[in-house]
Amino acid sequence: MLPIVSLTLFLPLLGAIVIMCHRNAAAEKVHKIGIITSALTLLGAIWMWVRGVADPDMAGKGFAQVEQIDWMPSIGAAYRVGVDGISLPLVLLTALLFLLTLIYSSKVRKQPQAFVVLMLILETAAIGTFTALDAILFYVFFEVSLVSMYFMIAGWGHEDRQRAAQMFFIYTLLGSLPLLLAILGLYLGGETHTFDMRVWIENPPLEGGAAMLALIAMLFTFAVKTPVFPFHTWLPAAHVQAPAAGSVILAGVMLKFGTYGLIRFALQMTPEAFREAGVVVLIFGVVAALYGAFAALAQTDLKRLIAYTSVNHMGYVIVGVAIAALTLDPEIRAIALDGSVLQMVSHGLVTGALFFLVGMLQDRAQTREMDQFGGLLKTVPLLGWSFVLAAFASLGLPGLAHFPAEFQIFLATLREEPWAVIVILGIVITAGLYLKAISQVFLGASNEKWKTMPDLDRRELLTLGPLLFFIIVLGIAPSWVLDVVHQTTIALAF
Amino acid sequence: MISISLVILAPLLAAIVILCLRKRAYVLALSSAVISLLGSLGLLFGPGVELILPGLPNMPLRLVATPLTSVLSTMVAVVSTLVLVYATGYMSQDKEKNRFFATLLLFIAAMQMLVLAGDWILLLSAWELIGLSSYLLIGFWYQKPGVKAAAMRAFLVTRSADLGLYIAVFLLIASAGSSDIAATLNTDGTVAIVAGLFLLIAAMGKSAQTPLHDWLQRAMAGPTPVSALLHSATLVAAGAILLIRTAPMLPPETLVVIGIVGGITALITGLIALGESDLKRLLAASTSSQYGLMLLAVGAGVPLAALLHLIAHAAIKSSLFLGAGVFQHSRGSTALKDLAGVARDQPRIFIGFVIAALALAGIPPLSGFFSKDAIIAATMTSSHAWLFVPLVLIGTVLTGAYMARALRILWQGNAQKKTLAGLHWMSAGVAGLVILLIVLGALFPTIEAFVAAPLPGNMLAVGLGLSAALSGLLLGWFVPVRSLMGPLLEKANQGFSIAGGFDNLCVRPVFAIAHACEKLERRLYTAVLAVGKTGVKIAHAIRSSDEQGIDRFIFSIVHRTIRLGRQARALQSGLIHRELAITVIVTAGLFVITAIGLLIY
Repeated sequence: MLPIVSLTLFLPLLGAIVIMCHRNAAAEKVHKIGIITSALTLLGAIWMWVRGVADPDMAGKGFAQVEQIDWMPSIGAAYRVGVDGISLPLVLLTALLFLLTLIYSSKVRKQPQAFVVLMLILETAAIGTFTALDAILFYVFFEVSLVSMYFMIAGWGHEDRQRAAQMFFIYTLLGSLPLLLAILGLYLGGETHTFDMRVWIENPPLEGGAAMLALIAMLFTFAVKTPVFPFHTWLPAAHVQAPAAGSVILAGVMLKFGTYGLIRFALQMTPEAFREAGVVVLIFGVVAALYGAFAALAQTDLKRLIAYTSVNHMGYVIVGVAIAALTLDPEIRAIALDGSVLQMVSHGLVTGALFFLVGMLQDRAQTREMDQFGGLLKTVPLLGWSFVLAAFASLGLPGLAHFPAEFQIFLATLREEPWAVIVILGIVITAGLYLKAISQVFLGASNEKWKTMPDLDRRELLTLGPLLFFIIVLGIAPSWVLDVVHQTTIALAF
Repeated sequence: MISISLVILAPLLAAIVILCLRKRAYVLALSSAVISLLGSLGLLFGPGVELILPGLPNMPLRLVATPLTSVLSTMVAVVSTLVLVYATGYMSQDKEKNRFFATLLLFIAAMQMLVLAGDWILLLSAWELIGLSSYLLIGFWYQKPGVKAAAMRAFLVTRSADLGLYIAVFLLIASAGSSDIAATLNTDGTVAIVAGLFLLIAAMGKSAQTPLHDWLQRAMAGPTPVSALLHSATLVAAGAILLIRTAPMLPPETLVVIGIVGGITALITGLIALGESDLKRLLAASTSSQYGLMLLAVGAGVPLAALLHLIAHAAIKSSLFLGAGVFQHSRGSTALKDLAGVARDQPRIFIGFVIAALALAGIPPLSGFFSKDAIIAATMTSSHAWLFVPLVLIGTVLTGAYMARALRILWQGNAQKKTLAGLHWMSAGVAGLVILLIVLGALFPTIEAFVAAPLPGNMLAVGLGLSAALSGLLLGWFVPVRSLMGPLLEKANQGFSIAGGFDNLCVRPVFAIAHACEKLERRLYTAVLAVGKTGVKIAHAIRSSDEQGIDRFIFSIVHRTIRLGRQARALQSGLIHRELAITVIVTAGLFVITAIGLLIY
């Protein structure tokens, strides 16, 4: 058996080393290496997908494709990676988004080596976060991603990038310290001292007050990362200043660390405490979803608007996870978690596409203020219709990626905590804000200023095409992802 | 199996092909519409089918052909084919034909999906896709002023109401444990009442029932074939179709509410139509009012009567709109004052328009007579007949009145001759629909028998309906609207909006919340920055205290070391004799010390 997970995980790092060895390579060559590496990584992820999550020994329970090497045996830490139905779709999403981001960024001429190296390191960190089955390993990848993103914003961002980068770094670094405490707590609380996450999931080591403390610590970390109101203020700042490529990765991949951690750690390792605190988490989710939608509606900067819709969409994920924690009915739990995981994937695709589109618009116009545009659908039809498609996907139109996810989350919500279905108001507000944005930017009379704006070129079409394709495919036939997710979620037992 | 997928896939694939090929749009559109129609007929005359497709886990998607759904599907196919024939002429001068036909076909596919849907998820999807495609169609001429606002309004109002459908669907699935529509129709008790009311909200949005009727009149911003399709067999029909299909589940408590909403709408939008000064807006208001009558029939517990009126109205209203489109092309406007005498420009189209108007008013032997008769008879059997019968009759009088008024204005005036491009296609479309609306009446008994049991006849209902229709027509033709409506005219022209309507009641509060959030957002951001700054200040304070304390200590050590070095350097003067002397003395001293040490040891 080839260790496909490890190969996929470390391929980008290898690519980064290759680039570092060719210090004087031309920009084109550097980008080419980056694209080839991430394409191979995507192939690896597809291979993992083909292998699936059905472990013959476990009968649907636990993790598949596990690869393990001793690391620090004295403290029970080891290199352990593997996937289940929750992490595998995220790995595939990550690999796809990084490939597209590197294609999109092949125009970067400012320190291309450093840029591509950072991107590739970030890719390894991201895949590592989703595949790690050892808490120490998880934490290391989690933190490395942070550092890479800091340099990405600080190095290639817009006007006020320094401050945004620092805010991002301090916020999420302080945010992840409680997680470390929680990990130590789980380590010390268990009978056998190990950092093996599978053991912690199988037999949650903490109970009672200790479990609650650990849960609170984890919730804090993941709430900052997701982000949940009121810990979200770093998000719009970081997004507005980050380069388009950074925004895509930040929103498409890194926000999922928060919700993935919420499921993997909070829900699976302290299920009893989570059930007790479930209503509180649910309220946070509902507030975040509605607040994100309303705040997005008030924006005039297109990129900020999309950043706030992330708060809204991730709020639905929080709601789904909280419902999964609260319910005692395995069927409702499976529906809620299916919806939440699919929502993460959909959000990665849709918001990725939207941030690329805004980046393309900004490359052309040097502004993101919506009232500066008008009638662009006539001038740049491909860009315009792509935006319309992505926007309608984001507002949850059936036939596009978000609908099956949100439908399941809302359905589970109504069955478990009917009052919380008020969160569904969010889909009307997002409809309003996207229609407002479309009508300001793309409809109406054409603005003379942009008469000569060029439409999408080949590089941009290559970037957007796969995303839009998957947005439609996932909307029409979500079952090819949901079947994988469902295998794991239906077998979860608390 | 094949026919049910053809019905939906033919227009969908044609739309994609048109977008890729970018030519021969109308040929592709028409042929796909014909294929779709053949598919529908196959369903109508074939055995019942059910097609199960993969969907969400444990909730597969279903398409079903039952008598009801296949009749509806045939209706949609017939009307949309004729509208496409007309559109071929109407859009012949437009540069963006490809986009137009592609969107229209998407719309038709979504509508077919809605009527044939056998599970709630597919129905909900089709429901929202209809919203999307009508947004795209209403906003087709997006560069014209006012168009984008109209499209946005249409989508937002219907989507807000769609929340009702979402919640109803969740309730039904949760209670039945299945997303199959047929299985959920057994729901009863409180769930049925609540879910029924939420379904009503969704239907009110789509079928433009009071107080959500306003968007439909604005939706006239789209091309006329779009209005013809939206207002007849498709978009607005979705609401009524939803209630007709779920009627077996609806408990009496919900039915009363449905009837009342329908009755009020028939009344209010009938008055709006009567006072209207624009032909297309008049027809739009009339659509709301006719759907109000259908809801009354559902409320009275006879959904079959509503179905008949839905079918008759589809043919009637689309021919009226298509006629209005010809008038619009002829005069370049849809305002009634500009259209005075247009009947003399286009006599043949006007004859079709008159037949359709009489059918809508309910004059025998046209189809509208039979369907309206069925509705009146239905309300008379209801336990709330005292309320419903007068509402239906007033609605009928109003229908006659506003149609007669429109006919009078179109007729009285002078001709302005003008040749129109694509008139053959347009006339063919209108003619097909007018023939349909004439012969449909004869088909009704067959449809009744096919879908359910035939409706009982009621001579009293016939008498009442006919006299109401005739009195309406006479009033509209002979009495000027100002004296007919009196003080109501002004209110009707404002759309009877209560407290500023949708804008004041919904849009403004939402934006107020949004701006409050934005304000809070800025405060939070400054607060976090302030915390950050405080951190930096503390760091500065620590640094300066370091400079004052620890650094001074370290620097003093450094200074002393340097001074020591300087003193040491003073010894090294560079004078050899002196250095030799020092060396000797020191060596001697060391020697002495060593000797003493050894001795002691």
